[in-house]
Amino acid sequence: MNYKKSKLLYYGSKLLIFIVSVFVLSLLVFYVSRLAPGDPLLSYYGERVEKMSVEEKNIAREKLGLNEPIYIQYGKWLKGAVQGDFGISYKYKQDVLEVISQRALNTLILGGIGYILIFLGALALGIICAWNEDKWIDKLLCKLGTFSCCIPEFWYSLLLILIFCVSLRWLPSSGAYSIGKSGDIGDRILHLILPMAVVLLNHPWYYGYMVRNKLLDETRADYVLLGKSKGQSKAKIMFAHCLRNIMPSYISLMAISVPHVIGGTYIAETVFAYPGLGTLSYESAKFADYNMLMVLCIMTGIVVIFFNMIGQIINERIDPRIRGMESLEGLEVSES
Amino acid sequence: MSDNELFSIVGIRENEKTAVSENKRKESFPIISVIVLSVLCLLCLFAGLISTKDPSYLDLLNYNKPPNSEFLFGTDTLGRDIFSCIWHGGRISIFIGFFATAISTFIAIVYGSISGMAPKWLDGILMRFTEILLSVPELLLIIFIQAILGPANVLSISVVIGLTSWCGIAKVVRTEVRQLREAEYVLASRSMGGGFFHLMSQHLAPNFVSSIMFMVVMNIRGAIVAESTLSFMGMGLPLNIVSWGSMLSLAEKALMTKSWWIILIPGAFLVCLLMCVTNIGNYLRKSVNRGESYL
Repeated sequence: MNYKKSKLLYYGSKLLIFIVSVFVLSLLVFYVSRLAPGDPLLSYYGERVEKMSVEEKNIAREKLGLNEPIYIQYGKWLKGAVQGDFGISYKYKQDVLEVISQRALNTLILGGIGYILIFLGALALGIICAWNEDKWIDKLLCKLGTFSCCIPEFWYSLLLILIFCVSLRWLPSSGAYSIGKSGDIGDRILHLILPMAVVLLNHPWYYGYMVRNKLLDETRADYVLLGKSKGQSKAKIMFAHCLRNIMPSYISLMAISVPHVIGGTYIAETVFAYPGLGTLSYESAKFADYNMLMVLCIMTGIVVIFFNMIGQIINERIDPRIRGMESLEGLEVSES
Repeated sequence: MSDNELFSIVGIRENEKTAVSENKRKESFPIISVIVLSVLCLLCLFAGLISTKDPSYLDLLNYNKPPNSEFLFGTDTLGRDIFSCIWHGGRISIFIGFFATAISTFIAIVYGSISGMAPKWLDGILMRFTEILLSVPELLLIIFIQAILGPANVLSISVVIGLTSWCGIAKVVRTEVRQLREAEYVLASRSMGGGFFHLMSQHLAPNFVSSIMFMVVMNIRGAIVAESTLSFMGMGLPLNIVSWGSMLSLAEKALMTKSWWIILIPGAFLVCLLMCVTNIGNYLRKSVNRGESYL
C-alpha cells in the first residue's frame, strides 16, 4: 500500500514537473517572439504591407489582436490552446494544426527512421569497436568518427548536393517529391536519401563511441572472467552479458539525445528545402508567424522534455541512489 | 603458517593491474593539431600581410572565376577574392568561437556555482530552468535572441551564441560545487566571512576547472559551428562581414553555377579548424586508464 502510494507520488511529481516545464516554455517563447522586432503583418499580407498606410496597419493589427498588452494576448492564447484552438497561421491563413499536420508526416519519416537507424547504427559501431579493441578497425572507426563529427551538418548537405545532384545528377536536391508525383513512393524515397544521409552520417559516431567505452568498461568486470573460466565463448559473454548490462544506460542516453537528433533533422530539412517541421519553424521564426512558432516550439519542447524524463526514470531505476536531476549529469558530463 | 601469511591468502584480492601498454596509458599530445591550429591562427592574425587582394573589393570583371594564378582560391559570385576572404573571415570565425565561449563559460561558472551553493529548493528551480532551455533546439533559441538584438554583427552574434550554450557546463559546475561545498576549507573560509565571489575564485574554481576544460574547448567548436550555420542560413552575419559562415551563404548560387571552390574551400578550412579544436579537447578529457580486457 505504502509502496503504491509512493509510486503514485513519484509519477505524480514527474507529471507536475512536465506540465510546469511546458507552461514556462510556452510563456518564454510567447514573450520572446513578441518582443522580437519581426513584423507579423509581413507574413500575413506579404508584399502588400509596404503599400499600406499607418492606419490600415493599425486596423490590421487590431484585427489580429496584436495591439493588446502581451500578457493579455498570452491569456487569450492559453485559453484557446487549452480548448485545442491554437489560432491561425499568418502566412498560410489556415489553422496552425492543419498546416502542421500536412507536414508532420514528412518530419516523422525523416526523423523517426533516422532516429531508429542511428540507434541501431551506433550500437553496431560500438560493438564492432569494442570487439576489436585497439585493432586497426577500432582505431579507424574512432578516427573516422571524430572526423565526421567535425563536419557541420549544413556543409555535409552542401557537399552531398554538390556530388550527387550537381556533378552526378543522380538524386534530386530539394523537396519531398517531384511536382505532380506526391503519391509516388519511389519518388519520395529518392528525395529522402540525401537528407537521411546527412542525419545518419553525423550522429551515430558519437553514440557509438559511448557504447564502445561502456562496453570496454564492462569487459573489465569480474563476471567476464568467470564466464570465460566456465568456457563461454566471446560472443556469448559480449552479447548475453556485457551488452545486456549497458542497454539501460544506452537507452537513457538515446532518450536524452533526442534534441540533438531533432536539431540535426531540422538543419538537414532546411538545406534540402524538405517540407517538414524544420523548414516550417525556420520560416515562421524568420517571418514572425507567431502562432505557428508557438505550436512548433511547444511540440518540440514536449517531445524533448518527455524523452528527457524517460531517460531520467530509466536512470533512476538502474540506480536508485540517483535522485531527481542528478541522473542527467553523469551523462551530460561525458557528453559534449 | 603464521596468521599473517594466512591472511595474505584469503584477504582482499589485490587489484593486480596488468601493465598497460605505453601508448594506451595516455592519449599522445596532439602535436599536429596544435601546430595546424597555431599556424591557422597566425595566418588569420596577419591576414592583412598575406592576402593578395582587398577582401571587400567586388571585382565585377572577375566574378565566379575558378582558382588560378591570380586568384589562388578563385573568386566568389560577387567577385571577391576567396584567398583573401579566407584569412580575413577566419579571423572573425575564430574570434567568435573564443569570445562566445568566454561568455558562456563565465555565465556557466556563475550560474553553476550559485546553483551548487544554493539551498535545495532554489537549486531545483535553477536546474529545471536549464532543462527547459536545453529543450528548445539551440538554433531556434539563437534565432529568437538574434531577432531581438536586431541585425547581426560580430559582437552581437557572439553574445547570442554565448547566451545559449552555457547550460551543459553549468550543470557540471553545479555537480562539482555540490560535492566541494561540504569540504572543510570551504566551511572555514565561509566562517571567516569569505563572500560568494571569494569562495568561488579562491576555493571552488581551481577545483572544478579541470573537469570543465574539455567542455569549454568543445564549446569553442560548437560556437564556430553555430556561427557558420546561422550565417549560412542567412540569419547570422550579413554578406559584407566576411566570415567562413557568411562566405558559405553564397553556396546556393554556387551550386547553380557548379562553382565547387566557393563551397569546398571555406568549408575545408572550417572542418580543419574544428578538427584541431576537437583533438585538443579530446586530449584534455580526463584520460581513462583502463587495464587489460578480460575478454
